[in-house]
Amino acid sequence: MKSLFKIIILCCLFLYSGYSIAQGDKDKVEAIRVSFISEQLKLTTNESEKFWPVYNEYNDKIKAVRKNLRQSFKKAPDELTDKDAEDLYQLDLKSKQAEAELYKQYREKIKAIIGARKTVKLRAAEEEFKRKVMDAIKDKND
Amino acid sequence: MNPGNYIFKVLMFIGTIFLFNTEIKAQATYDSLKVKLPKHYFKTVIVVDAYNKADQKLDTSDFLGKRLKTYGLKQFSLSFYTPLVSYTDVDTVKNITKNTHILLTGNYVRLRPVFDGIKQHNLVKMGFGLRFIFNSGKKGVWFVDTSPFITRDVTYVSKGYFRMASTIVYSHNVSERFNWRIGATKSFMWGNKNYWPFIGLRFGRLDKTHLSIQFPRSINLNVPVGPKLTMSFYTKPQGGMYNFSNHDSLYYLSNAATFNYTRYELNSGFRADVRASDKFNFYVAAGISSRNNITFYSEKANKAKPNLPYRTYFFTETLEPTIFVNLGLVFKFGKTRTFYKDRNMYDVMDLNNTMDVGDNGGSAGNPQIPITPKSKKEINLQSVQDLIDYNDF
Repeated sequence: MKSLFKIIILCCLFLYSGYSIAQGDKDKVEAIRVSFISEQLKLTTNESEKFWPVYNEYNDKIKAVRKNLRQSFKKAPDELTDKDAEDLYQLDLKSKQAEAELYKQYREKIKAIIGARKTVKLRAAEEEFKRKVMDAIKDKND
Repeated sequence: MNPGNYIFKVLMFIGTIFLFNTEIKAQATYDSLKVKLPKHYFKTVIVVDAYNKADQKLDTSDFLGKRLKTYGLKQFSLSFYTPLVSYTDVDTVKNITKNTHILLTGNYVRLRPVFDGIKQHNLVKMGFGLRFIFNSGKKGVWFVDTSPFITRDVTYVSKGYFRMASTIVYSHNVSERFNWRIGATKSFMWGNKNYWPFIGLRFGRLDKTHLSIQFPRSINLNVPVGPKLTMSFYTKPQGGMYNFSNHDSLYYLSNAATFNYTRYELNSGFRADVRASDKFNFYVAAGISSRNNITFYSEKANKAKPNLPYRTYFFTETLEPTIFVNLGLVFKFGKTRTFYKDRNMYDVMDLNNTMDVGDNGGSAGNPQIPITPKSKKEINLQSVQDLIDYNDF
């Protein structure tokens, strides 16, 4: 009985590991992005030590907002009740507003740490990275 | 119920909770805007580890050596850590992010010293501990660990023996590439109750090739070959102090029910850590185990000085170097906050890894420090959906 219990638990852990491998490594793209931004910004040690905790927090919040919205849009619009459709519409607006507020709030913090020039550079690096990612996806699909 | 099985079930129960917890959090809602960040920086990590050492002949000129005949070792361990409290404090004036972490740790070790001359003994060590880590947000990180544990020979009915290992370390990040640490540790890794100063130096970035000298824990040269594979060359002590039943009357001078069996070895070898995914790692290590010592201490004779290392023994032998093999599976659960390029948080993670759970001389292999991939080959739409807005297309 005890052996059976251990075997079941170990099987669950192996299934979990197999499942997680199949899911892929989402953090990998994030790591590439951070590395790219880091190369572009060329922060000093002092700037780097203050910038990354703030920038990581900003990204965590933006991702949470987008994930919440994306999951809410999983259900086909035609299957929604009128009330749910209204809620979802309001959520969409609130999410976009929250993103804009977070952007403003955190860019102010970042500007205080690395200055206006490097904050603009950060925006340019983020855009550049997006373009690279989309090119990579296009190349993969062609 | 056998306490070993009980601990095993508790650990598995905790793991199962965290396994399902991730799914519950992922349920969709569309009634409100929820910007809920993960609370913790640490994932819940469960490590399953197996360590084996080849059998060796003991010196037969000694009476007990002749009785015991050979000595080999088989060890299985299960350990975990899970964050209980994480508190982040942002100083908006100085732009400093401080954080405090309290982790619950637990470990279960089943050690089988193989003596051909007597019946197989199964020695168990288990316990739960707490660790406290404070990141000042500047250059310093504080680390405090307490690991109380019980050792017991479960082969026969015997009383458990309570002990406690503990460590306090201050870690100073001079730069990304250089770090020093200082502190003190009470450890049983060198086979006896020892109080050591802790002195550490690291040269190189934690996510790149680096040399880490952490006395008395380990010396490591870590080489990340890619985001999935890290090779390490290392030297570290491994050992412990266990209660051993005197059922075989090995301690012939007394009618004591148990005595203390201690072991230590200095392991030098290489290790490959494979990061199969965000949630699962495994490692394989092999090398030479030298300074292999076993000693049997009388509990009664050493009881007079409770806070000092044991001195009076009735059997000791240091064997020739031999080979060892070590395998491990690392399961990671839960969503965490990100800390890319955060030098202090990398150090927080490394401190937690350097001081292994339960004072067993193991290591989970820094499973959370991100290693930057060199290629963009594996980018797909699913992995970038949080980064890109539909307007970007």
